[in-house]
Parts: sequence; C-alpha cells; structure tokens
Amino acid sequence: MDGGSAAIFFGENASRAAMSVLEARGLSKTYEQGGRATVALDGVDLGIRQGQLFAFLGRNGAGKTTFIKIASTLLLPTSGELRLFGHDVVSEPRAVRPLMALVPQEGKLFYHLTPREHIREYLRVRGASAETAASRTEEILDAMGLRPFEGIIALRLSGGLQQRTLVAMVLATEAPFLFLDEPTLGMDPFARRQVWEVIRRAARRGSTVLLTTHYLDEAEQLSDELAVIEHGHVLFKGVSEALKSTVGREVRLQFSGGFLTSDLEPYGKVVRERDRLTLLTTRSSVRELTDLALGRGAEVTVGPVTLEEAFLELVGKGIEEDEA
Amino acid sequence: MTVRSQAYAALRICYFNGILPLWRSPLLIAAVFLTPFSFLFFLFVIAPRSLFPYGVVGGVLFTALFTGSGMLNDCAYLRLERQLQQVFVASPVRPIAYILGMALSELAFSIPASALFLAILFLVTPVGLLGLGALLGIFLLTWLMATTLGFFVSTMFSQLREIWPIGTLIFSILSILPPIFYPATVIPAEWRWVAYFAPSTYSAQLADRATGLGGAITTGIPFLNSPFFDLGMLVAVTLLFGLAAVYLARWRER
Repeated sequence: MDGGSAAIFFGENASRAAMSVLEARGLSKTYEQGGRATVALDGVDLGIRQGQLFAFLGRNGAGKTTFIKIASTLLLPTSGELRLFGHDVVSEPRAVRPLMALVPQEGKLFYHLTPREHIREYLRVRGASAETAASRTEEILDAMGLRPFEGIIALRLSGGLQQRTLVAMVLATEAPFLFLDEPTLGMDPFARRQVWEVIRRAARRGSTVLLTTHYLDEAEQLSDELAVIEHGHVLFKGVSEALKSTVGREVRLQFSGGFLTSDLEPYGKVVRERDRLTLLTTRSSVRELTDLALGRGAEVTVGPVTLEEAFLELVGKGIEEDEA
Repeated sequence: MTVRSQAYAALRICYFNGILPLWRSPLLIAAVFLTPFSFLFFLFVIAPRSLFPYGVVGGVLFTALFTGSGMLNDCAYLRLERQLQQVFVASPVRPIAYILGMALSELAFSIPASALFLAILFLVTPVGLLGLGALLGIFLLTWLMATTLGFFVSTMFSQLREIWPIGTLIFSILSILPPIFYPATVIPAEWRWVAYFAPSTYSAQLADRATGLGGAITTGIPFLNSPFFDLGMLVAVTLLFGLAAVYLARWRER
C-alpha cells in the first residue's frame, strides 16, 4: 500500500467518501485477570467516515486504547464486530493490516537508530521502494522539525523528540487508516502544533485518522468529529461545538475578587479554582454580570465555554449516573 | 506483500536491529562471548585435556542456543517495554517476517563468537570440510530451534519481570545441563535417557559426531544410536517450535 496503491485506493469515486471506513457494532471487551473481570468496552457502536479526523476522548481507563487496540488488530474483542474498509478485523487481519499504521500509547524507539533511520527503515520494511522511502523520509523530517536531529541516535534524544520521531515514522507511511494513540504526549506546544499540521495534511491527502488525546485543545483544533467514552460506553459522538452546546450555557466568565460562590450560583454553574471563580452561563446574563463586576471593582474575563468544560460536565454527569 | 517482500522485510529488520547496533556498539558481542568462554576456561583448568574439544564444540552450540535467550528477551522488551512489536503488527509485515528478522538479528550477534570457537576447534582437533559443513548445518538448525522457542515463549507473558527468570530457566536447561560442553558418556548410564528431554542434546550428539569426537549416547536399541535419529529429532523439534512461533504465539493479544 505504501508504494502507490494508496493513490489508487483514494482515487475511487467520491461517493465512497461518505462511507464509514470504520464501523463498530456492539463492540465489547472484558479483561479477565486473577478471577476478576474488568469491562473495558461495553457494546460500543461507532462509525468513522473516510478522510475524517476523529478524536476519542475519555479519562484514563475509559476504553480508548482498548478500542484502538482492537481496531488495529492488536487485541481480540470479547464480542461484537469491527469492520475496517469492509473487512472484519477479527477474521481478516491480513486484509486490513496493509491499510493501517499505528502510533502506540507510550511507544518508544529503537535506542540505537536515528530519526532518519527509523522513518526510512520502517517504510522499507512495509514494502515502500527505496525512492519512495527516501523522498517521504526527507519530506517528513522537514515537516516535523526533525531535520536538526536526523542523525542523532534515539538514546540521546529527549522524550518529546523521540515521540515526534515515532509519529513521523507512522505518518510517513501515508496509510489509508492512521491510529494515533496520544500522539503528542510529552511534546512542547510548538512541536504539538507542528505535528497537528502534518496530521491535518495526512487527512487532506485522504487518510482517515483516529486519535486519542487528553489535550482537549488538540481535539478541538484537529478533529472533524469526536466521541467521548466513559466506562466503555460512548457518551457523546458529534462535532466539538455540539459537545459544547450540551453544557446548556455558551459563555464562561472568570472573576477575580468581588464575588462569593453564592452570589453567582443563580446565574449558572460555578467552579472555584484558587482565588478565581469560573461561571458558565448564558449570553443574556453577560451584560448584567460584567456591570456588576465593574461596580464591585472585580476583574472579569469573558470567553466561550471550552471543550474541556463541556467534557468535564459530560463525564461528570456520566460518573454521577454510574454511581447512582 | 508478496513472499519476496516479506523476506526482504526480514532482512531489513536484521539490518537495523542486528547489524547496525553491532556496528555502533561492538561491545555488545561481549555478552555472547562471556558465558561460553567462561565455561571453556573452567574446563581447560579442571578437566582432562581430552575433554577440551567437547568444550569447544559446546561453545559453538552454546552461541546458537544463546540466540534463543536473546530472542526471548529482545522480543519481550520490544513488545512490552517499547511497544514496537505493535507497530509491526499493525502493518503489512507478517509474523513470520518479523520472527525471521529478529532471529537473523540474534544470529548476527552470535556470529563473531561462533567464528572464534570454530577457529579454536580447528586448532585443537582436525575437522574436514564435510565435518565443518555438517557443524554449520547443525548450528543453523539449533539457532532456528532456539529462536522460534524464544519468540513463542516471549509472547506468553505480559510482564518483563516474569519473562526474565523463565528465559534464564529455559535456556539453562537447554544449554548448560545437557551434554553440550561434555560428552554424553560422562552421564551415568542409568540417567542418560534424561538428556533426551533437552532438544539441544540432539544438536550436541550430531556435532560431536560431525567433528569426529564421538562420545554419543549408546543404548541397547540400535535405531536410537543412529545419527539419523538425532537429526530427525532435531528437525522435528525445530519444526514444532517453528509452527508454535508462527501459529500459536500471541501476535494478537487475547
């Protein structure tokens, strides 16, 4: 697939673009260990369309990595079905493996290889020709900002650079389906933005991307669509704006001084962090509250509700329901 | 990917996982040298001189068996600690190409030590070209047997801490206890049958015969005394471990 057949694959008619290339139905996974069963996925239904950049959000242990492991043929499900490009990942792994590439969670490099060698060798092992491997290696080294470090063995690279190399290795495959499990873990904000751009480019070229992340800004910046998973259940699937609208309030106001929590509670949800109060409220209350703050000499900042707040609200409700 | 491209993938894995690290850190070879040369030195000091050539042949076989221990530890490390096997699972690379590539990497590490043992062997006992060819064949079969066993076992555990003692146990049983560094005739007659439980005994019997050292186990059953029995058993065990590595090893977790 690396050598050029990907182009043929993506060259099929445009109606295919609307098809789900990943389809999970009733997907469940229970881990049995020491006589104890832990449910990681519980009847997950999910579809991801071709060329989509899809983000999976959830707390630690919510089931994101288990889903990726099953979809990328690393793990067998307990029940349910997952099809990738129409092939069952359980019974037809050989058909789907050439169509995918994976950045595993907390993956590390071969300590004795340089970034250049990692990228080139991985492409060659996957069957890319020497010319294709060479040109893609050069391209991704520049795109990922790895050029100054191309000849340094992994042992001497920082954690962030090692992670960047691992992501570069996988993105350089230009595989039709890219699984990226926390791809920017440990990277500085500049490196993250560089990686985002390369991921976006992969999606523009036609690759479908499924990524997990704990950085909500990353999910918002990158994804066309996202899903929130908690205790193996999908709590939400849709665009980030739709997730934010589930909070029921569109605006966040942050106050420094001048107010008690009880003063603001009638207007919406209040969260205290150190000496600041954050209020999630409706647009109609903004004028009244800012006037009030100015009158009391309090500092106030106004902005839209963030994805993080929506996520906390949604998952928080999920936890409450589970506990109930 | 075609058979040819899978074979090519195996060679590339050998290149970047075996040859490159060896080139960059030649001291890594010391790990393969250390144990068999310690045994050989020990034999040289305490055993009669007539047993020394057995120790040298044992050294050649030990380096082949040591590849199995390396395979077990390296594959487990790449899968559990570095998550790199997963990068190859989610790719067109088939398990057999990965296993072969890793096994060839281990072979690359063992070649300098086994070459030195072969050189010493030429100095201490006359070995003809035929004998040398046979010894190389036995070496390769033993390498294949050990590495496929190493890979199979490496996939059965989910913790590196569990794997290290298991690996030490298995490869001590395979390479130190059986008549590798000494002739089987040293074992008391009533206990010689126990040696047959270690497949490396067949390698040693064949190697001792190929180099003209003799000293193989003799029983009252002529069929069991034949080198063809040893060869048949070695090939059968290698096939068994090879099939286990390809079909029963956990390329995909359960």
